[in-house]
Amino acid sequence: MAASGQPAARAVGLCKAYGSGETAVLALDRVDVEIDGGRFTAIMGPSGSGKSTLMHCLAGLDKPTGGEVYVGDTELSHLGDRALTRLRRDRIGFVFQAFNLLPTLTAEENITLPGDIAGRRTDAAWLRQVVETLNLGDRLRHRPHELSGGQQQRVAVARALAARPQLIFADEPTGNLDSRSGAEVLGFLRRSVDELGQTVVMVTHDPNAASFADLVLFLADGRIVDRLEGPTADAVLERMRRFDVRGGSQVTLPAPDAD
Amino acid sequence: MLKATLRSFLAHKGRLALSMLAVLLSVAFVAGTLMFTDTIGSTFDRLFRSTSADVSITAHNDVAGRNDQNFSGTVPTVPASLIPQVAHIPGVAAVNGRVSMAGIVLTDANNKSIGAIGGAPTIGINWSPGPNSPVDLTSGTAPSGDGQVVVDSDTVSKHHLVLGQQLHVIGATGGFPVRLTGIATFNTTNPGATLVFLDTGTAQRRLLGHEGVFTSVDLTAAKGVTNEQLRDRVAPVVGSAYDVKTAEQTAKDAAQTLGAFLSVIKDALLGFAGIAVLVGVSLILNTFSMLVAQRTRELGLMRALGASREQVNRSVLVEAALLGLMGSTLGLFLGVGLALGLIKLIARGGMVLKGSQLAVHWPTIVAAYAVGIIVTTVSAYLPARRASRISPMAALREADTPGRGAPLRIRAVVGLVVLAVSAGLLVGAATDKDLGQAGILLGGGVLLSLVGLIIIGPLLATPVIRLVGGWFPRVFGPVGTLSQRNALRNPRRTSATASALMIGLALVASLSVVGSSMAASFDAQIDKTIGADLIVQNSTGLPFPNEVGDTVQATPGVGLAVRGQGTRGALVAADGTQQKTVVVGTSPGLDKVVRIEMRNGTVAAGTAPGHAMIGSNYADAHGLHLGSPVTILFQSGRAGTLTVGGIDVTDTNPGGLGDEPVVASSTLRQYVPGALDDIVFVNVAPGADKEQVKSALTTALAKDPQVQVRDQTDYKKLVRGQIDLLLNLVYGLLALAIIIAILGVVNTLALSVIERTREIGLLRAIGLGRAQLRRMVRLEAVVIALFGAVLGLGLGLGWGLAAQRLLAAKGLQSLAIPWSTIIAVVIGAAVVGLLAALGPALRASRLNVLDAIAHE
Repeated sequence: MAASGQPAARAVGLCKAYGSGETAVLALDRVDVEIDGGRFTAIMGPSGSGKSTLMHCLAGLDKPTGGEVYVGDTELSHLGDRALTRLRRDRIGFVFQAFNLLPTLTAEENITLPGDIAGRRTDAAWLRQVVETLNLGDRLRHRPHELSGGQQQRVAVARALAARPQLIFADEPTGNLDSRSGAEVLGFLRRSVDELGQTVVMVTHDPNAASFADLVLFLADGRIVDRLEGPTADAVLERMRRFDVRGGSQVTLPAPDAD
Repeated sequence: MLKATLRSFLAHKGRLALSMLAVLLSVAFVAGTLMFTDTIGSTFDRLFRSTSADVSITAHNDVAGRNDQNFSGTVPTVPASLIPQVAHIPGVAAVNGRVSMAGIVLTDANNKSIGAIGGAPTIGINWSPGPNSPVDLTSGTAPSGDGQVVVDSDTVSKHHLVLGQQLHVIGATGGFPVRLTGIATFNTTNPGATLVFLDTGTAQRRLLGHEGVFTSVDLTAAKGVTNEQLRDRVAPVVGSAYDVKTAEQTAKDAAQTLGAFLSVIKDALLGFAGIAVLVGVSLILNTFSMLVAQRTRELGLMRALGASREQVNRSVLVEAALLGLMGSTLGLFLGVGLALGLIKLIARGGMVLKGSQLAVHWPTIVAAYAVGIIVTTVSAYLPARRASRISPMAALREADTPGRGAPLRIRAVVGLVVLAVSAGLLVGAATDKDLGQAGILLGGGVLLSLVGLIIIGPLLATPVIRLVGGWFPRVFGPVGTLSQRNALRNPRRTSATASALMIGLALVASLSVVGSSMAASFDAQIDKTIGADLIVQNSTGLPFPNEVGDTVQATPGVGLAVRGQGTRGALVAADGTQQKTVVVGTSPGLDKVVRIEMRNGTVAAGTAPGHAMIGSNYADAHGLHLGSPVTILFQSGRAGTLTVGGIDVTDTNPGGLGDEPVVASSTLRQYVPGALDDIVFVNVAPGADKEQVKSALTTALAKDPQVQVRDQTDYKKLVRGQIDLLLNLVYGLLALAIIIAILGVVNTLALSVIERTREIGLLRAIGLGRAQLRRMVRLEAVVIALFGAVLGLGLGLGWGLAAQRLLAAKGLQSLAIPWSTIIAVVIGAAVVGLLAALGPALRASRLNVLDAIAHE
């Protein structure tokens, strides 16, 4: 786990273009960003702002067309599929908006899956702690279809935490949940940072969700346009509104990163 | 709506491709079989028509069948004196005495057999071309005198014979040297017979053993006289001792004999085609089920937009019919290829057909389209009905994994009942004393057990896959766990996929049980019955000239040589009723070389001149005792009354003796002059070494390449080889069904990979490597294939066991389970799984992670 204060990941001059020539769409335009270790960072922005693309590039799921991405000290742009797969497996955890779990595996098997794939035994004491923290003790033997949406997302968070990755990326983790379950999941992400020292990066367009973070980065038209430390929901909403007005017409560009 | 159907058909063409391949292969098999057998039929029809004389006269004989040279080497003959009697009948343009004798041997100067191999005969004919002769002399000169021969051009070119070459002909009376003086060419396709033309006198002497006789007298009708008119004029002149037939009748008789044989081949091939069709049905059914499940939303939308239930139903059926139409058309073309391939293949076995004369009759085309279209629409019907029943709202909401959790209880009950009934039938078949009834029970049991197992398959999937794939998680880790669970995810689909494989493998397993039991039973029978050290026999069982037996007797080290003959005949009861049978002749000492269980008298007394040994069943049925007279009608048409000298036990005497009477060779030849040996049993002299005698005999018999010297081990090996050949042939025919089953596995996997795209994306995102993903798909395929193998082997062993018990009464007394075949099937099934997974696994591993996660 990265020590607090050190960047857990960073991007330098990160560009991502879709298509080529005349029809090229620039999703990320020379983005420089540092993700601090041991903190909860939210990335916000309207549809088509490039926030998902940024996350995918930082997580080694997508290939940038320019610039450099580091996870810890590892530069990703030169890594092949095999090395990227290993990086995701060993150093990154994911929580997606939906379809986070394999339907054929039990909750527990889903949680230990990344470690099992790597051929590592998940530390039992740590697993117990994660499961207790997420309040999943009595759900471990259940299959995903026997769990509620909130429970499923908690299992996904547990899976991300279980392997003790350097970074956890959460892509709209509460997008499919009612507000109570959503708040619960966000609370757990918050606790994983506070109590377990985890680094979390979350993409969201929900100001409420963003208010759980330590830092909010605002993205528009492929650039970071603003940052907000110690956000509240109202403050985030106010900033968003401001730059909806400012960004005006450009926000309606075709959205290459389908949210 | 039709437009939407066509669009959807085209959109899914990738997913339908494998179903179409299944239709195509099934149709090709059916069409190819029909074209192939039709081509054989039409080739022989042309041959028979061209070789039949306008009117031919043959000796009338109730006992001997036509073309019966196989028995004893003698044929009914017509005296030459008949020719002047018929020559002056008005309407006769030409008279030809014909000698035609199958079963002779043609060798080169090194005693290597030149004749056709396998089924096609070598026929000796007198050179006497009539006005419409089927052959023309195309080079050299006609044979004249004892040492000259003309051979057909196909044989000449196949064996690179040259005019003037020294050859050797072995006829009924023995071998004689000849020189090739000419080449004759057929003016129609010769399907592989080797024709050896001698001059008339030589043919009579050497092939029939007498001058002045023919096998038939051929008449040519004068202009303006029909064959029927001529026949009606000739028949009263020659009397009832002769059969007078027109060319049409002769050709029809010949075609009938062939037709019976052809229809056996055709039925067998169509049977295998039927199995392939059955497997194809299960594949198509499965494909359409999956497609409909995947398109639930699309079909729901159509319903929501106002398409009626019938329209949805029809759109699926039209899609299926289109598939069938295309598959049939392509299958028909592939069928032509298949038929041509079969023609090439049997040409290597000695039957020559011309690809350019391929018979494509309209029933073949109708059958091809009927099979293709009916099979696809019928298999698509159930899924189509299910599709039309989807309520629009449910469809738009879309259940995540369709088919899961649907009640299987009815299935369990129905399946168990069907299985119980089939088990009852199989046990009944195994224990029933009446062979015909047992056969029906066996057929019913086989069919019902197959149906039962297919019904109950989904319920067996979980336990069986836990069993065969139980070790996967331990060996392959989470990839193993995932693959095993994926296979169990939709038990119906897994079991439908596996049952296609099950059908083929069940047949392989059951036939291999029967085959190896046959070999084992035969071994036991040889051990029990054959006492001879060595056996000299023609590999096809044909008789051979008596010089062979003379040579054997003269070979040093031979102690006892017992020469056997077989002729057709009949046992005539006191009331005149005839029981057709084979009359066996033997030289003294039969009991020293064959173990025969006697009830009364001795073998020696039974086979003394003027005596006969008969079976106990016949003796009991007709109240015969030692010393009773028994009347035997021989193949020559002459009857003799002999004295019963021995009664053997019919039931326990194997080797096919049954109720066949055995007489002394000298007695037999008294009634059937010139009857040839067809077997010589040899016991080596005391003190002589068996191996040495065997090689001495082999050397001494080198000039008769048609006979082989075998000891008991060789004999067993020969039989085993023949059984293996037959089994391999059957496995080859089952291969198509298995290939279609493999396509089914490929299909299921491919569609599963598409269905699980998001899951695959997730797995890749959280760190599953490409190689691991491929392994996951491969293991799933292996599990499905092994599931099919386990069910198939279980079913097949059951069938095999029942069949063996059933046939025990017919001599299949030993049960042998061919473990090597069974292990090979299991390993083969795993390999099949690996092969089937190649494409889908590659496809899965190439998915873009982000696209996959975002996949709907």
